[in-house]
Order: sequence, then structure tokens, then C-alpha cells
Amino acid sequence: MEAASTKTTEAQRQLAARFLDFWRVFRRNRMGLVGLAMLAVIVIVAVFAEVLAPYDATAPVDATAADVYRPPSAAHWLGTDDAGQDVFSNFIFGARVSLIVGFFAAFISVFIGGVLGIAAGFYGGRVENFLMRFTDVMLVIPDLPLMVVIVALTKPSLLNIIFVIGLLGWTTTARIVRSQTLAVKSRKFVLRARAIGAGNGHIIRHHILPLVMPILVVNAVLVVSLAILNESTLSFLGLGDPTALSWGQMLNYAFGRGAMSTGAWWALVAPGFGIVWVVLGLTLFGHGLEQVLNPRLEAHHLMKPRPIVRHEATGKPLLHERRGRVPDEAPILVEVKNLSISYISDGKPPARAVENVSFTLREGELMGLVGESGCGKTTLMLGLLRLLPAAGQIVDGEVWFSGRELTALTETEMEDVRWKGISIIFQGAMNALNPVRTVGDQIAEAIVKHNPLMKGAALEARVSELLDLVGISPEHKNHFPHQYSGGMRQRAMIAMALACNPQVVIADEPTTALDVMIQAQVLELLDSLRKKLGLSIIFVTHDLGVVAEMCDSVLVMYGGVTAEYSDVDTVYNLAKHPYTQELLKAFPDLTHPEKRLASIPGYPPRLDDLPAGCRFAPRCPVAFERCRVEAPAIHQLGEKHFASCHLVEENSLTTK
Amino acid sequence: MQDYFLEVQRLKKYFAAGRPGFFNRAREHVHAVDGVDLQLKRGEVIAMVGESGCGKSTLALTLMGLEEPTEGRIVFEAKEITHASEHDRKLLRQRIQMVFQDPYESLNPTQTIEEIVAEPLDVHGLTHGKAEREARVVKALEDAGLKPASTYLPRFPHQLSGGQRQRVVIAGALVLEPHLLIADEPVSMLDVSIRAEILNLLADLRQTRQISIILITHDLGTCGYFADRIAVMYLGRIVEIGPTGEVLSNPQHPYTKALLSVVPVPNPRLRRQRLILQGETPNPIHLPSGCRFHPRCPIAVERCRAEDPAYVTVGQSHLAACWEAGKQA
Repeated sequence: MEAASTKTTEAQRQLAARFLDFWRVFRRNRMGLVGLAMLAVIVIVAVFAEVLAPYDATAPVDATAADVYRPPSAAHWLGTDDAGQDVFSNFIFGARVSLIVGFFAAFISVFIGGVLGIAAGFYGGRVENFLMRFTDVMLVIPDLPLMVVIVALTKPSLLNIIFVIGLLGWTTTARIVRSQTLAVKSRKFVLRARAIGAGNGHIIRHHILPLVMPILVVNAVLVVSLAILNESTLSFLGLGDPTALSWGQMLNYAFGRGAMSTGAWWALVAPGFGIVWVVLGLTLFGHGLEQVLNPRLEAHHLMKPRPIVRHEATGKPLLHERRGRVPDEAPILVEVKNLSISYISDGKPPARAVENVSFTLREGELMGLVGESGCGKTTLMLGLLRLLPAAGQIVDGEVWFSGRELTALTETEMEDVRWKGISIIFQGAMNALNPVRTVGDQIAEAIVKHNPLMKGAALEARVSELLDLVGISPEHKNHFPHQYSGGMRQRAMIAMALACNPQVVIADEPTTALDVMIQAQVLELLDSLRKKLGLSIIFVTHDLGVVAEMCDSVLVMYGGVTAEYSDVDTVYNLAKHPYTQELLKAFPDLTHPEKRLASIPGYPPRLDDLPAGCRFAPRCPVAFERCRVEAPAIHQLGEKHFASCHLVEENSLTTK
Repeated sequence: MQDYFLEVQRLKKYFAAGRPGFFNRAREHVHAVDGVDLQLKRGEVIAMVGESGCGKSTLALTLMGLEEPTEGRIVFEAKEITHASEHDRKLLRQRIQMVFQDPYESLNPTQTIEEIVAEPLDVHGLTHGKAEREARVVKALEDAGLKPASTYLPRFPHQLSGGQRQRVVIAGALVLEPHLLIADEPVSMLDVSIRAEILNLLADLRQTRQISIILITHDLGTCGYFADRIAVMYLGRIVEIGPTGEVLSNPQHPYTKALLSVVPVPNPRLRRQRLILQGETPNPIHLPSGCRFHPRCPIAVERCRAEDPAYVTVGQSHLAACWEAGKQA
């Protein structure tokens, strides 16, 4: 008994927590809040009509001719109507009828639409064909005339009106629910549920419904406003229930009995205002709900790049002295010095995604940037190109590229560097191509964006040349992305990155989703391009094996900081940082298949919740007291070998 | 004849490709699985290796009964299950479970971890009372390495990392105490550092629970660790099968050799000549004549274009479907 009650309180607590989460997001949406307030007012008015209305609108009145169409006064705030009744009171009682019709009719519509939509989407085949054709037929029949006919043929009671509106208003709901069901049905967890042995009923209840619900709720709000509008129209046409006074009915009486000709505007304005108020409130509220509930409206983090460069300590924009620079050694192409990037959002401590990272990239060099997911690799690369999402800010450091300091450039100057100087092949490039345009077209677009003068035959020739360069026969240039295999799409993305002859290409996990053989092909291609075009490449990956196969130097990142940075041979054979050593041990080695794989216990730190001291200390097998309190500096161990670990220092002390 | 735990005979799964034309009634078919023979002993682990499009995932779904086989037989625990009835199929689900590739997609984002792991128990009506249900969920989670399990129960999938999610998926399969686990690319979506954990977990489960595992992967590097045998698939058929050590150290089929050569070796001093096959796996609608690998084979001879090679025994239970197999050395 007691256990049961704690269970319910637990469930209640969870429900409350979910609601609080929802409210926290929702209240940021001002329009949604306004809508909610508007609705709250009208609902309160409708519920407490008896208390609020100065006169009882339901009671019969003995009206004399003098009481008809009296203008607003202290006794009748909104004047009187054709029967000498108080318009303000009628307005309040009318709200009740309009809302009841709206909510109940919408309930019927949403229920029917939801059931049909889920059935059509889930079962597919003939069921879907039949249901959706039926929906199409219902959709093309003009609602209003049909409603008018049906209501006119039946007795005009409130119940009939609710049913007629409800039974005719479900078509859009059915369509929306069907498409959402289709999307949910194809997701892997539904297949998993089948593998478990779950039947259709179970899958619909536990897997489809929870993911369809948000869209259904948003849709329901709009259906309510449509139902209220429909009721008003019917009543205005004189088809309403004469015993239940709604706003539509008020309009009908006022129009029909000479309010216009006597200039009694108040009898028309009040109900009209009510309808507009409720529909507007519902629309705004629905908009707010949609922002919170519809997962598709989540802002994409790359949508608005706002490359703010700001010094952390002073809060002032970073303005480095702008000067040309002759590098110490001619072939250095990119030099990153002590770069730090934070994600700054209101009310939260900044997430230090990248801190104090330095490296150099020479002409023709292939550098591997290695680390687990969430260790700041992609942030570092986006920072280099100043393509960080809105919350990301470069808070310190310099990025030198062929004599220019990139963090000091204006946005227009930066546009010139992107693609022509440094280009990037994004992670998950499979989805980065536009499915409705040919591949050649998309490559041409990348060229024209930066070389507006190139057109016609020259442009065509350049596209063919680029495709040829990445091993795609130029005759495929008029094909669409879906006609390409995964490996070919990745090649097309590489061709696009090469469109403007960049000096540096950043490849962000270009092979992660590919099969081993295709991965080998793409790696071979990148390696040959580097030799053929003298490209410098930064290869971002979590796979040390790939790095060993082709890179010259390796930067190992952990939790946003440099763990180790050196040439590839040193990193693999003389690694000093425990993280590098552990990563190497975790790699399957075909030459010793019997050996048990070592794994690094735990997970990388969350960037908004970094441990004190060394960021790797909680997972480090050799961590000691100092590691937990003091972050290690980056120690130089050789001409080009850096590691940030206290042990390096301790060891050198003991050897000295 | 030995009694096997699982025996698959000449299994085929074809999918109709497109609609039949108005004049042309003959349908084209995708030959996803095209004659697979396989035997598995209790407690044995076999790795099915191949590129995408080789039919290994379709084979898994067919064994699970999620796809109806076109031809052939499947015998599981001395009972034919090729076309099991709805009722038998549901009972079978308790004994054959599956771990899916993508731990980000295979968990319902609106369910808590407790609901996810308890779902199989609820579906099969296996537990009596809340206490027993929770005890079994906790045990499955802890067996999958999520300790202490109680801290994970009320959480949602998005609050867990990729590795933790894959452990939840595994716990959801373990909770039914299956005899056979089909793991479809269980680590390909995970970071290398986390792959080791999941592979070790599967190896432990096999030890402690005597579960047989069919590991489906495209990476020869990840299967050497605990698979007893390796079967290499190409275009719907097994082209080489044998004990893990044998296949890795003495591959006989040119496709196996190529796959082995492209597995990255984490040692820059060991950069080798890689045997990179050109092109991609051909379309499984129009299979090449003769040996299905000959268009990409570096050592194909005239005979390969005309005749489909039979299996050649090249060692202790080591077979390869190649005319050239066993000739060298």
C-alpha cells in the first residue's frame, strides 16, 4: 500500500517536472504567452458568466420599445439589443456557448482525424489507400454548404451543430497525423519493438502515439478556432440553436433586425470582437505550443552564424593589431596560437569548449585531429573558419593564415578566406547535398559563389575537371544525389570543397559513416589530392588507425584542451600523455587478435561541468593528487612534441 | 550428423524490385540473401563480415523472423522455424534477440530507461508484480554494465552517451534471457574508445551466460577479438568461412584479402601496401555471371566469368568459394 502511494507520488513528481520543463521553454515565447492570457480571460468569463454578467441573459425580459437599441450607458455598458437585452451580458453568455461548441466539436474532429491518420500511416497498403482517398473526397467537398444543408435538414440544436462541425472538420488532422505516423514508423525503435515481440496495439500505444501527440495537440488548438468560426458562420446564417445564444447568433439577430439601419454598432461590435479575440488567442497560443512541442522547429545550430570575437577578460571585441607578417619559415600556412572558444548562453556558466589550443600546419602537411566525440574537435575547426553557432565565441587567441589574422577580419573579408583559402568537408556529408538538384549544378554553384565571372562552357569544363579529379566520371554530373552511392556522394563533397582551389581543406570525419573499403578509397583519394595539388589537410577523426595510415602530425584533444601534439611516429611510439596511451590500447590490433581490448572507463567530461584540475584526471589510470587540483601546462618535450600532463614534468625532474 | 544449435540451409531472401511493367510481367528481384548455409553451436560466436549491400543485415532480419525467407530452411534448437506461426514466433522472440546498429535511433526518446528495458517483459507478460519486474530490469542493466542501475532507471535516452545507450539496447535484449543474440553492427556508430567496452561486454556475456552471438560487421578489425569463426559475405553469399585465426592469418578468398588489407593498423611504421578494390559492390538485381566477385577481383581468370565456384576446403573447417583458393603455398 505504502509502496503504491510512493509510486504515485513519484509519477506525479515526474509529471510535474515535465510540465515545469515545458513551461520553462514556453514562457520564453511572448506571442504564446499573450495567446494563453487572452484565452484564460475568455475562459474565466465564460465559466463565471452568472457572476460577471450584470443581467441574466437567459431570463425573459419585458422590454418596451424604448429599451431597444439603447446606446452604451452606465446601466448598459455595451448598450442593448433588438429585444432590449443587455449586450454586455449577452456577450458573456455567448462566450460560453461559442467555447462549448468550439471545444467539443474540435474534440470530435481531432479524435476522428487522429484515429484515421494513425491507422492509415501505420497499417499502410489498402487500409491507407482507402482511408486517404476517403479523406481526399471529404477535403474537396466544400464544408460550409454541406454544413448548412445538414443543419438545415436536422433540428437546429446545439448538439447537432457540435456533431456536424466535428464530423466535417477532421480532414487536415488526419493528413498531418498520417505523415507524422509514417515518419515515426520508419524509425529503428519501432523495428526493435517488433524484434522484442510486441504486437501492433502495443507499438501504436507505446511508440507511435507519444511521438504523434505533440503535433496532434498543436493541431487541436487550430481545429478549435476553426470550429468556433464555423459555429459563428452557421449561427449568423440563422441555423443556430435559438435557445442557446452564441456570438454568431448575436450577429444574426443584430443584422436581421435592423442594427445597421438604426446605427446600433455596439450590437455588432461586441460579438465580432469576441470571435476575433478567441481566434487570435488560439492562433498565438498554438504558435507558442508548436515552438515548444514540434521537434522539427528546433533551431539548427548552424543556421545563424554570428561570429563574435570577443576578449574574455575585458568583454571588448578582440582587435589584434592588423599587420602583414612574414612567417619565420616560408611554408607555414596556418598557425593557431592559444585559441580558446566558449559557448556562452544566458544564465549559464560559459562552456569552455576549446581552451588554449595551438598548432601549425605547413604546406602539403596532413594533420590528424583526434579525440572522442564532444572533445571540441569540430568546435575548433568551426572556430578557425568563424562559422561557430550563435552561442560560440572566440574568447582568446590568434589564427594566422597566409599572413592574415583571421579573428581580426571583418565578415566580408572572412567570406573571401572561406572556400578560396580554407574549405571544409562537413561530417555527415551524405545529407549535405540538395536532393532536388543535380550534383554538377551544386558544384557549379560553389564555383560561381566565389568566381562570379565564370560561366557557360568554362564553368561546365571546370565542373567536369573537378569530378574527374575525385574519380567520378564527368558524365555523372547531371545525375541527382540519390543516384549516387554513399562513396560517390562523399567524393562529390570533396569536389565541392576543391571548387575554388583552396590551400587548406578541413575534412571533418569524412569517412565515419562509410564501409571500410569505401573508407580506404576516400582516404587514398585525399592522399593523392594532397600530393597532386599540394593541399594541406586537417583530418578530423576519432579513429587512430586512420591517422596512423596517412597523417604527418597528430593533435590529440581531450575535453577541449591539447593532450598531445607531435609528429605521427612520436605519438604512436613514444606517447607521453596517458590519454594517448589509453586510446592506442583501445584500438583493435589485427596482429594480436587474442588480446583483450583495453577500454577507457567513463566518458569525456561535459563542457559545462569540467572537473577541477586536469580534465582527464577522473578517467586517468595514473592520476595523482596534484592532477585533481591543478590543470597541467603544455610542456614541450621535443622540437615538435607537446603534452599537457603533470607526469611529464615529474619525470623530467627525477631524471635531472 | 551433429546436432547444431542453429542451422541455416540454402537460405534465400529476394525482394521484388520496382513494379512489373505493363507488357513485361516478369519482376526483377534484389538477391539480398542468395543461398546461405550456416551452422552454429551453442555458446559459439560467429562474425558475419561484408560491405553494405552484401545481405548481412537482411540475413539477420530473416533469422529474427522480421522478414519471411524466400527459400531454404532455418532450424533452431532442433525445431524448424522457417515459417513459424505468429504464436511460435512470439515465443521464439524470447530466445532470439537482436541488438541494432544505431543506439541513437533504436531507443524511443519518450520512454525512460526503465520503460525501455521492462518493455519486453511487459509484452511477453513474464513478470508477476512490480518488485520482480524491477529486479529483472536492474539485473539486466547491471549485466550490461550500467551500475548502479537505479540511477539510470528514471532517465531518458537523450541524457545518456552513445556507449551508455548501446548498453541500454543490450540490456533490453538480455532481459528476456535469450539463447541467441544477433548484434547488427553494434559498435559502428560509436567512438573507437567506446567500441572496446561494448565488444568486451559482449565477450563477457558469452562467457557468463553461454549466449551464442551472431556479430554482423563491416570491419574485420572488430571481430577478431571474440568471434570463434568468421564468415565473409559478398553479394548475398558467404565467400569464405573458417576459424577466426585461420581466416585472419591465412585468408584464401581475394575479397577477404582485400578487406583485411584495408583495416587500419595503428602503427605508422607498419604502413603497408593496401589492396583497395575499385568501384563498389555491384547492384544485387543483376548479379554478375560466374563468380559474383569476378568484376572486382584482381586475380580473376577466364573460368571465373563463366562458372560459379563451389566451396573448396582449404583447412580445418575452412572453406572458400574461389577457383584459385588453396592453390598458392
